[in-house]
Amino acid sequence: MGMKEYLIRRSVQLVVTFFILVTISFFLFRIMPGDPTAMLLLNPQLDPETRIMLKRKLGLDLPWHIQYFVFIKNLFSGEFGVSFYHGKPVIEVILGVRLLNTFTLVGSSTILAIIIGMILGCIAAWRRGKVVDLGSILFSLLFYSMPVFWLGMLLLLIFAVRMRMFPVSGTVTAGVYHANFFEYLKDYLWHMTLPATCLTLIQIGSNFLIMRNTLLDVLSEDYIVTAMAKGLNDRQILFKHAMRNAMLPMVTIIALQLAFIISGATLTETVFSWAGLGKLIADAVFERDYPLLQGIFIVTSILVLVANFLADIIYAYLDPRIRY
Amino acid sequence: MTTSVKPMPTLIKYRRTFYAWRRKVKGFWLLYRSNKFGMIGLAILLIFIFISLFAPIIAPYGEWEYAIAPPFSPPSPEHLFGTDELGRDLFSLVVYGTRISLLIGFFAALLSAFMGGFIGIFSGYYGGIIDDILMRITDAFLVIPSIVLMIVLAAMLGTSINNIIIVIAITTWPGTARLVRSQVLSLKERPFIEFAKAVGAGDARIMFSHIFPNVLPLIFANMILGISGAILSEAGLSFLGLGDPHHTSWGLILHYASGHGAIAGGLWWYVVPPGICILLLVLAFIFIGYAMDEILNPKLRKR
Repeated sequence: MGMKEYLIRRSVQLVVTFFILVTISFFLFRIMPGDPTAMLLLNPQLDPETRIMLKRKLGLDLPWHIQYFVFIKNLFSGEFGVSFYHGKPVIEVILGVRLLNTFTLVGSSTILAIIIGMILGCIAAWRRGKVVDLGSILFSLLFYSMPVFWLGMLLLLIFAVRMRMFPVSGTVTAGVYHANFFEYLKDYLWHMTLPATCLTLIQIGSNFLIMRNTLLDVLSEDYIVTAMAKGLNDRQILFKHAMRNAMLPMVTIIALQLAFIISGATLTETVFSWAGLGKLIADAVFERDYPLLQGIFIVTSILVLVANFLADIIYAYLDPRIRY
Repeated sequence: MTTSVKPMPTLIKYRRTFYAWRRKVKGFWLLYRSNKFGMIGLAILLIFIFISLFAPIIAPYGEWEYAIAPPFSPPSPEHLFGTDELGRDLFSLVVYGTRISLLIGFFAALLSAFMGGFIGIFSGYYGGIIDDILMRITDAFLVIPSIVLMIVLAAMLGTSINNIIIVIAITTWPGTARLVRSQVLSLKERPFIEFAKAVGAGDARIMFSHIFPNVLPLIFANMILGISGAILSEAGLSFLGLGDPHHTSWGLILHYASGHGAIAGGLWWYVVPPGICILLLVLAFIFIGYAMDEILNPKLRKR
């Protein structure tokens, strides 16, 4: 199969999955008990005329299959309704500073975790069965089995409360005037250190284990034996021949992990009161802010969906064997 | 019976199956015993099962015994882990928490394995359009960040142990479904399935009598690893305040700890023990899961 056909097939899959996703969220938020808009109508203070008017305005008097199409239409025009709590359109609440905050936190920790995980995985695979290998496996399993929020609490207890090295919460020091951008950046990074460390440590485990296993697979391939037979030294074999091939599967695996990373970020942001999307969703639950909840649900899912699609395309481009 | 063949007496038939199973289990145990990590995991798990079974005897105080000591007392011989904001004995709470974490972890993973296994077998066996539809639904569930779906579902269904089990199962079945499906795809091309078809076995019979027993070990090993994920998910949900407030779990203790300023106050004894318990139990299931994986997939054994 050529690249073109693969691209078409994968795109069709993307569209179908997207519509299933939209349908899931429609049923989740419209049909289930606790309908956000129906809640508004339950208010006993509303007089009958207002109720009918409101019902018509919200489209709740229409049959549900028409509601479904209205839902999809609104989705494409970015209409997610108005947040109950923030009093602003949901899309404005999501696409703003909060998305940026999550992006910097998740981005930096993911990149760090990939680099550290790959280096550790390389060393462990090369020294298989030695102390370094067993030590790194134990280390990564330890952080892998740890609840992310508990690690955050420990980091706070040790580095923020006991040692007073880092702030306890927030993205910048409250009420402080920053003279210039660099002052602001310094303060921001200072606040980000602990949450980023937390999210990095949690992610290293799986990256390490995947890298180690793929590298072990690659190291048993014929072309590595050939490289050894040619008399290349260890470093050349490891970096020029083995690592390049082992890095390929990492592309898709990292994209698949994105959903897991967002879950981790939600808990991390809650512990550190980091004003990102994760904190926003945890808060939205307690404020019963259903339009906002729905908005974040759809935006994060679509983000992961698109990331996975792109990763598959990149992978297929890099490794022609995948286009079976 | 009208046939001339004398049917095998039921008792003998059952005894035969029993011996066959015993032989299998024995063989499995011999392999398992030589796995160091697997044995460590099993030991930790047995200790926690013991604690949860005898919780009322081990815990010196009840789950709801308030004001037995001043709130936030540090650890002492009477109160090994100190007390919480209501003056409850934290050691007793951690002991009782073992029950809920084990219960939810086990049943959530069981339900998830059941759903994933069923969909995987169905999808892989029938193929074609059914497979396409089921796999796209699986894809959709895979891209939804699990905690986001969990938060939404838990907030809508309400907080009870049953709902938490359902919520965790709904968010974790796709992994199992994918795995089982790929196994079924290769299984259904094997001669014994073709033979069953030739003899006239129906689809349902082939799926449940011939394919299911063959993917069961895979589902089981996956379920053991799933328990560790379910325990972490339960802890996360409870920590966010979406757990069952009527039953103390380790996550709920940590929720109260962060809600009552245990971090700002530096009350490490409130935070450390429940987390260590979660860590140990999750690690135990991971060790057991990997050990089983190694036995069931001989290809991995070299590593």
